[in-house]
Amino acid sequence: MLFRLDPTSTVPLGDQIAASVRRAVADSTVTPGERLPAARVLAESLGVNVHTVLRGYQRLREEGLIELRRGRGAVVTAGASPRRAQLLERVREVVADARELGMTEEELLTLVRAELST
Amino acid sequence: MTRKNLGRATLAALPFVLAFLIHLILFIVLKDRLPTRLAGHFDVSGDANGYVDRTAYVLATAPVLPVLGAVWVLMVVRGRMYGRAHSLLIGGGWALAAFLQYVLGAALIVNLDTPEGGPAGSFPMWHLAVAFGVAALAGAVGLLLTRLVPAPEDPDAGKGPADRERIVLADGEVAGWARTTGAWWTPVGALVLAATATGFGYGGNWYVGTALLALTLLVLAFSRAHVTVDRRGLTVSGLLPWPRVQVPLERIESADSRQVNAVAEFGGWGYRIRPGRTGFIVRSGEAIVARQTGGREFAVTVEDSATGAALLNTLVDRNRAGR
Repeated sequence: MLFRLDPTSTVPLGDQIAASVRRAVADSTVTPGERLPAARVLAESLGVNVHTVLRGYQRLREEGLIELRRGRGAVVTAGASPRRAQLLERVREVVADARELGMTEEELLTLVRAELST
Repeated sequence: MTRKNLGRATLAALPFVLAFLIHLILFIVLKDRLPTRLAGHFDVSGDANGYVDRTAYVLATAPVLPVLGAVWVLMVVRGRMYGRAHSLLIGGGWALAAFLQYVLGAALIVNLDTPEGGPAGSFPMWHLAVAFGVAALAGAVGLLLTRLVPAPEDPDAGKGPADRERIVLADGEVAGWARTTGAWWTPVGALVLAATATGFGYGGNWYVGTALLALTLLVLAFSRAHVTVDRRGLTVSGLLPWPRVQVPLERIESADSRQVNAVAEFGGWGYRIRPGRTGFIVRSGEAIVARQTGGREFAVTVEDSATGAALLNTLVDRNRAGR
C-alpha cells in the first residue's frame, strides 16, 4: 500500500496516513481482511513517530474501515468497501468546504438533516 | 523447446544422468560384496554410528540425482538465467552431481567386504576432501562444455530506466510503500524444523540441534515478512527489527514487477542465493525485482508489486538527482 505524506501541509501527518489507507480502500488496492503494515514498520519507513501512525490507525478504526486487534495488528474490516471509503472521502471534502465557507457545525448538520429527511 | 535450449538442457542433465548410472552400476557390481546392513551414517571422526538396509539405501539415494537433474533442466530452460549466470548454473550442476556421486559411491566402498553384522568400515574424512576436489574438477569441465552451447542473452538488457513505470510525487513529498507477505507453509516449516531440532537434541547431537533451532527461529521470524520501499531502499524485515535484508537506493539501478517461478528461477523457496540473483521467495507469482549496480538482481515475492516497483524507480531517480 502506498503512503504519501506532505510535510508542508497543514493536515496532521496521522490524518495523511489515514487518507492514504482510505484511498487504497477506495481504489481496491486493499481489500477486506487484509492487514495494514505494522505501526512500527510503517513509522520507520516514513520516518515518523509510531504514535503518529497509531493516531492515523485510530482514526480509521473510528470510521469503521479497520479493526485493531491485539497481536494481529490492523485489519481491514469486512464492511470496508471501496464505495464506503469513497463516501468517507466525500464527507471530509464537504466538511472542509463548509469550514472554508465559514459555516458553523450546527448549520452544516441542519443541511445534512434536511437532506436526510427528504 | 528450441534446438539451443535442447542443447543447454542436455548439458545440464548430463552430469546427473551420468552420476545416477555410475551409482546404479557400482551398486550392482558390488552388491555381492556388501553386507545387508550398510553403515550409512558416520560421526565426525569417521566412525559409523548409523545403519541402513542395503536396498533401502539405494532406493533412498538414487532418486535424488534424477530429481536434482530435473530441477536443473527446469532452471536452465525456464529460469531466466543469462550470460555468465547461465554458465555458472550449469557448472554448479556438474560440481554438485560429481560431489554427490563421489560421496554416495564412497559410502558403498567403505562397506565392502565387512562381515555381516560385524563392525562396519569407517569413513575416512579424506574422502570428503577428495569429493570437493572431484566437484571442483567436474565444475570446471561443465564450465568448459558450456562454450559449446552459447548462453542465452538477457532480453531486458536494452530496456532503459526511462521505459519503466513511475509514480508522480510532489517536491518534498514523502512516500513509502509497505506490504505484508507470507505463506501458509512457513509456520508448518518452522514446526517441522522445531520437531527435528528436538529429535537431534534428544539424540545427544547438540550441534545439529542448536543449528536447527536457530534456523527455526529465523523461519518463524520471517513467517510474516514486511516488504517496504522508501527513502532507505527496498527492505524485507520479519517480526523483529532485526535480522533484515536491505538493498539501499544507491545500489539500485531500476526495478520491475514481474512473475517469478520459484523452482525454475530460484531452485526452491526461502532466502535464495543464485548466480546473478538473490531472492526472498515464498511463492511463485508476482514480485518486485530490483536490478542492482553490477547487474545482480534482488527479487521479493509480494502482492501489488507494480506499485512497489514504480515507487522504487521514482525514489531511485530522486536519489540520483540528489534531493
